[in-house]
Amino acid sequence: MTAAARGSSTERYRRQRPPVSRECADELTRITDDIDDPIVKLRYLQNALHAEDDKSALVQLVPIPPARRAWYRLKGLRALDAVSDADDEIAERTLAARQTARRVVVGASAAAMLFIPVVVAIVAWQVNRWRSESEQLASVGSSTAANATAIESTTAPLDVPQVTAETLTTSPRAEEAPVNQLPVAETLAAEDLGIVPSMVWLADRGPDWELYSNGLRIETTHAVKGTPRDYRVQTRDGKVLPSKLNRPIGILFHTSESDLWPLEPGYEKEVRKGSEALLRFVKREQAYNYMIDRFGRVYRIVDDDSRANHAGHGVWARGDEVYLDLNSSFLGVSFESRWEGGRTLPITRAQLIAGRNLTHYLRQRFAIAPEMCVTHGLASVSPKRGLIGYHLDWARGFPFEAFGLPDLYSQPLPSVALFGFNYDSEFLQTMGERWPGLIAAEKQLANEARERAISLDELRRERQSDYRRWRAALPSPSGPEPVLESRNQ
Amino acid sequence: MDDRNDQGSESSGSGSHTGQSQSGTRTRIGLDVGTSKVVSARGDNISPTTDSQLNAFFDVPYSALHEQGLKANRTPFYRENDRLIVYGDASEKFAHIFNANVRRPMAKGILNPNEPQATHVLETVLSTLVPQSRNPGELLAFSVPAAAPETGHELTYHEETIKRYLQGRGYTPLAVNEGLAVVLAELAKEGFTGIGISCGGGMCNVAISYLSIPSLTMSLAHGGDFIDSSVGAVVNEPATRVKAIKEETLDLTREGGDKIDKALHIYYDKLIESLVDELAKAVQKTPKLPRNDQPMPIVLAGGTSKPNGFRERFEKALRRRSWPFQVGDVRMASDPLTATARGALVAALAER
Repeated sequence: MTAAARGSSTERYRRQRPPVSRECADELTRITDDIDDPIVKLRYLQNALHAEDDKSALVQLVPIPPARRAWYRLKGLRALDAVSDADDEIAERTLAARQTARRVVVGASAAAMLFIPVVVAIVAWQVNRWRSESEQLASVGSSTAANATAIESTTAPLDVPQVTAETLTTSPRAEEAPVNQLPVAETLAAEDLGIVPSMVWLADRGPDWELYSNGLRIETTHAVKGTPRDYRVQTRDGKVLPSKLNRPIGILFHTSESDLWPLEPGYEKEVRKGSEALLRFVKREQAYNYMIDRFGRVYRIVDDDSRANHAGHGVWARGDEVYLDLNSSFLGVSFESRWEGGRTLPITRAQLIAGRNLTHYLRQRFAIAPEMCVTHGLASVSPKRGLIGYHLDWARGFPFEAFGLPDLYSQPLPSVALFGFNYDSEFLQTMGERWPGLIAAEKQLANEARERAISLDELRRERQSDYRRWRAALPSPSGPEPVLESRNQ
Repeated sequence: MDDRNDQGSESSGSGSHTGQSQSGTRTRIGLDVGTSKVVSARGDNISPTTDSQLNAFFDVPYSALHEQGLKANRTPFYRENDRLIVYGDASEKFAHIFNANVRRPMAKGILNPNEPQATHVLETVLSTLVPQSRNPGELLAFSVPAAAPETGHELTYHEETIKRYLQGRGYTPLAVNEGLAVVLAELAKEGFTGIGISCGGGMCNVAISYLSIPSLTMSLAHGGDFIDSSVGAVVNEPATRVKAIKEETLDLTREGGDKIDKALHIYYDKLIESLVDELAKAVQKTPKLPRNDQPMPIVLAGGTSKPNGFRERFEKALRRRSWPFQVGDVRMASDPLTATARGALVAALAER
């Protein structure tokens, strides 16, 4: 009935068009329920949807839904005229309904005529009130400049840092190392912008939940205390820095790879049971620090100060620092989902929003640099086989931009650039293609081999050997002090 | 079309049906112009008369003896210079005899650009199913695929070629999206609201329809031919033979079997995954999908969807994902091979 719904007679069965409004469709569906013959039904629908003139758009201007619906019904019943010659029974059966609908439309239109002036008067009064209030505020002489700055600071989009190849794989001077800026607000489409608090703070808490100022709510019913974090960082030349760290330095994003039920009414019980079973499992295994279910509920599993068993063997680097014990140094955040190759976003909108809020909170609390918010698929390695991609979750498709984070898929992969990890045909079959960061890392490695006049394989073997030595040099949380060594030794 | 010797049916289209009762002696036709088969439906929508012809051909060198043999066997063929072109259902028999593959005038849902004989053969195949119209201007609805990225979204040449041919036969042609035709054939009770999926030889077509309006149409340029050729390549058998095995014995509910069976399972899964994947992408890109409280029923049609177990595998793949609408029951069309043609017939009959 709307202009959008119409199409030329030769194109109506082939060109895709936007659907009609729900109210219109409901009325048409009600009318067609009385028509049994598919041909007559189709002819009626096509006539009702395509043959209406532009006056139909007027219906949408009617402010009262029942009046709108009555109008649609009237128009729908009128359209029956077109098919009534084919089916007299329909014409007769709907005559009374048509008359009733006509009366309803007239009555509703009259009501609308009275209603509109009242609404306009209320709106005008409200606008005047706001105006006078703002004038009063101005006269008090409050610092408008300060206010403007404050508003700007709370709504300004986060300046997503441009991570360059150097950021991840070269050694900047200490003063040039990226400074952990307080995350202010994520990059969002203009229509999604709202007031975002400049800081995230604990706004409220209950016996088993915490509420933060950015809307993040953390359920703490499944929270457990694990082994305290206790790790050391290595430098690019192989030295183990002397200071022990016990705060997370980054975030590693995972998908749970658990069984998923359709996210539809009728599956509530199965979806709920699936999530509960998963929570019990990750709690027992202390598998992650946080788990986000499909409705966007954030569960704390292992407390922030404890290591979770989420990363396995992994490699990540930032500036001069190299991280090999990601369980201890990174927080594990998992989305209840299956990655499925990452060609489409495998999480729900609710998970995306909750994940962003959680990232925002964690980055602020632990001063986490944006380039330290990594995915499991990018960091995971198999030391035994010397291959990357032992786990592939989020090896592609993590919505970095929506999280206000730099695209780490385009940055040279540390495991390849630093330790010569390779990949096999199975990896390529699963991924379909190499991502730009992997290609860049391989180029770096090849360039280095060329400069040193050795074969790429030789360089890879050398780097793999480095990796094994460095890994062996890392102390276990309660183990002996590490032996300090350098790459050149 | 020199020496044409059409043996296809020339249905009179007579009989009692809704179309006739409403419009005198008209004979409206629904036509499914598929890569693998051309199917026609005529009569009323309740019990239409359907007919089909393989959309393929096979050429053999000309000799008087060959020609005489073909005529004696009433095999449809025509002569093109020094070749005898056997077309339609008979072409597959010849391909089996010569242990070779049939040639197709269409590929990936449209006229085969690599086949010089394409237009000529397609018109010949169509002529066996579409008689010269008795009432000039009679309506004939024929199926067209949705544009696929693999075919460069270009359908104009294919569509216009068919249209002009049908106009030459005295019809007024009406193009109907293939997925929508499945909806028109099978979802009348649901007010033509639901998802129609036609898995054919050259491609799979999907239409999300809301009260007969196609809100989303998409296609995947892979179908049964992709399965046949892929399996044929890995087991070193002609695709025509793989096709025959697929149509005769394949059961997707049973794992195991021989090498061909295993390969068929693998490529069927790949096709289903690709289709669901592409549908999910298309749904994500579509700005306006219908808002509907009711679950959307899904109907599967087309020869590629026929093997036992296809529906279950497809439903499993579908329900593994989240959709912005409720997925209703997933069912097979009452007759998967003729659903598109029957849907086109419904469209033709509904036109004034």
